[in-house]
Amino acid sequence: MRTMRGRSPEVLLFAGFVGIASTLYLAFNWAPSVSINAFESPAAQRIFYWHVPAAWAALIAFTVLFIGSAMWFFKRNAMGWKLHVAGSEAGLACGLMVVLSGCIWGAAEWGTPWDWSDVRLNSFGLLTLLAIFLVLGRRSQPDGVETRDTFAAFGLYGFILVPLTYISTRIWQIRHPGPVGGIGAEGSINGSMRFVVLLGALSFTLFIAGHMLVSMRITDMEQRLERAQKRLDGGN
Amino acid sequence: MDGMNYLSFAYLGMIAAIAVWTWTIVSRSRSIEDRLAAVEASIGIDPAQADELTK
Repeated sequence: MRTMRGRSPEVLLFAGFVGIASTLYLAFNWAPSVSINAFESPAAQRIFYWHVPAAWAALIAFTVLFIGSAMWFFKRNAMGWKLHVAGSEAGLACGLMVVLSGCIWGAAEWGTPWDWSDVRLNSFGLLTLLAIFLVLGRRSQPDGVETRDTFAAFGLYGFILVPLTYISTRIWQIRHPGPVGGIGAEGSINGSMRFVVLLGALSFTLFIAGHMLVSMRITDMEQRLERAQKRLDGGN
Repeated sequence: MDGMNYLSFAYLGMIAAIAVWTWTIVSRSRSIEDRLAAVEASIGIDPAQADELTK
């Protein structure tokens, strides 16, 4: 039976999920409405309280993917491969949440779910496609050093899209709204809006950390299972 | 569709999606844990020392 410490990923998942649900409740019932003149669809603006924290969690996941890929590619570190697997799976899930919520908002506000001329939309879309490639590719290939090297190389070079996505609306403001936090932000959100976004970011961070820990545990158990089965087949 | 209904539908869909995803990954973890315990028990490995024995 697992100890409480052994169940800490599940505790993080639960805390994150409760936090996300609370964020959505506050986004609906407490966060102020935006100016009806500034938006085509003021109600849909509330998708921001999901979209921005999910994007934050996605960038954490892609950073873990980069660190894991580097640890495997340069050091052949087993923990690095577990981080690569966890980062790519979490990056795919968060990437899809961001892309889908963005499409929902775009359809309501812009009248189109996607704009091929917007740099941030497309760079983030490419990041999500990279995560799809890594997750599906790994599942369809036999595990081995060459396979891991190939996927780790994609994880390393694909990370260039993360800073590109971050700076894109600071350089090219095409359709995607400008930054509301961090360097170069216009500071367009008030105190209660900021509180809900920060609660969302914290909740998504706990949630994605729990997911990555469960994913690392699964990778570890799969490797142990493979070794135990080889031993069983070998009659030792 | 009215703006708030559209948003409610979108939010419920997304929270249901992450709940299903979470359930899937936790179930997968438990299933592999059970299989691993069964295989290790069949070859007489103490799970606490499995990593040491199978290196």
